[in-house]
Amino acid sequence: MIWNFLAGDYLLRLPVADSDRTILQELLQVPAASAHIPRLPFYFDGQLDEEFRQIVQRFEAREAAYWMVENAEDKLVARISIQHISWLQRSARLQWELSDLIDLEGLQQILPALKKFCFEELGLHRLEMRLRPDFERHNQLLTALGFEYEGCLPEQLEFQDESVDLAVWSILAD
Amino acid sequence: MKFTPELEFKGGKVRPLSLDDIDHLWNIYQQPELPGQAKPSHKDQIARIIDYSVKMAATQRGMMWLIEVEGEVLGMVSVFDWQPSSLRLMLRVDGLPQLTIEQRQAALQCAMDFLAKKFHTRNFAYQWVEGQQPEIQTMLTNMGYELRATLRDAWRVGEEGFANVLQYHFLNHQEKPKAGRMGEFDNPAQNLNKDVESSTNDKETK
Repeated sequence: MIWNFLAGDYLLRLPVADSDRTILQELLQVPAASAHIPRLPFYFDGQLDEEFRQIVQRFEAREAAYWMVENAEDKLVARISIQHISWLQRSARLQWELSDLIDLEGLQQILPALKKFCFEELGLHRLEMRLRPDFERHNQLLTALGFEYEGCLPEQLEFQDESVDLAVWSILAD
Repeated sequence: MKFTPELEFKGGKVRPLSLDDIDHLWNIYQQPELPGQAKPSHKDQIARIIDYSVKMAATQRGMMWLIEVEGEVLGMVSVFDWQPSSLRLMLRVDGLPQLTIEQRQAALQCAMDFLAKKFHTRNFAYQWVEGQQPEIQTMLTNMGYELRATLRDAWRVGEEGFANVLQYHFLNHQEKPKAGRMGEFDNPAQNLNKDVESSTNDKETK
């Protein structure tokens, strides 16, 4: 199976540990890129080493897949992943880390191709996103992209000495 | 070491599984409550479940109790998706048709009381799958659970069918344990032979 694919003006491709280190760190060191997850920004090389190790192992176990999303100028504009893939329930959790270079228009090109890949190639039925409920930019994007809000799960994780609730949004195969 | 306690509730008790319970579990699994849930085809599978129940409790991954009323096994309480350090877990009760909703509630409540006291659990989740008895939803609400999300098509029923999952949570808001030096409080964790502070339900750790 080929996991890299085009989505309008964008290319979604699996990361390559050696050559993608710098550009991925540039994205993941920006606090706003992952605050909605939530996750701390990447400040140190060691964090990225661990991240790549996990990306590879999760992909090899087919429990997750991560894509580098590049625009027509070959610039990294986002990282998008599906995680917690349940082949039994045919579902997965979508996660995105967006740079300022991607907006709704771009995501409107990416999401249909991503859905096609996940629903038709992988045979999944449900993609859900869990994120902090108070991030308006993401809520607006999810709504505009056709995700449905399903509710908010309380105290799902601890982050910076705080119990974090996570809102759940989903999109289903037609 | 002992990992899963026996706990009494009005009219019955929950107790850990042993290899003598293969027929009891077989009976429960032959009448699955969840839509689309497959029935085990061989009793070896049941023996493995019992083995897992001990291993899961020993490592704080899960816990399983049989529900016994007047000497008859009528169901089971299961803990899964247990995140001990996040103080949260998921619960489920599987019962035979004879298990009343009152007995179901009492069994679930005594398991929750134990988990809150012993493991400081604050966040209890319960997933009700569309197609299960609606009375279970009323029971959860009566116990203080709140519906937090309806996960569309999150439960697979057969080859092409799916059912919605309604996820309830009960938060007890008890204080989180304060971190000390490891071993300072001699928190016995999963070993129930080391007792916790006593209160009304203390039979459980003896």
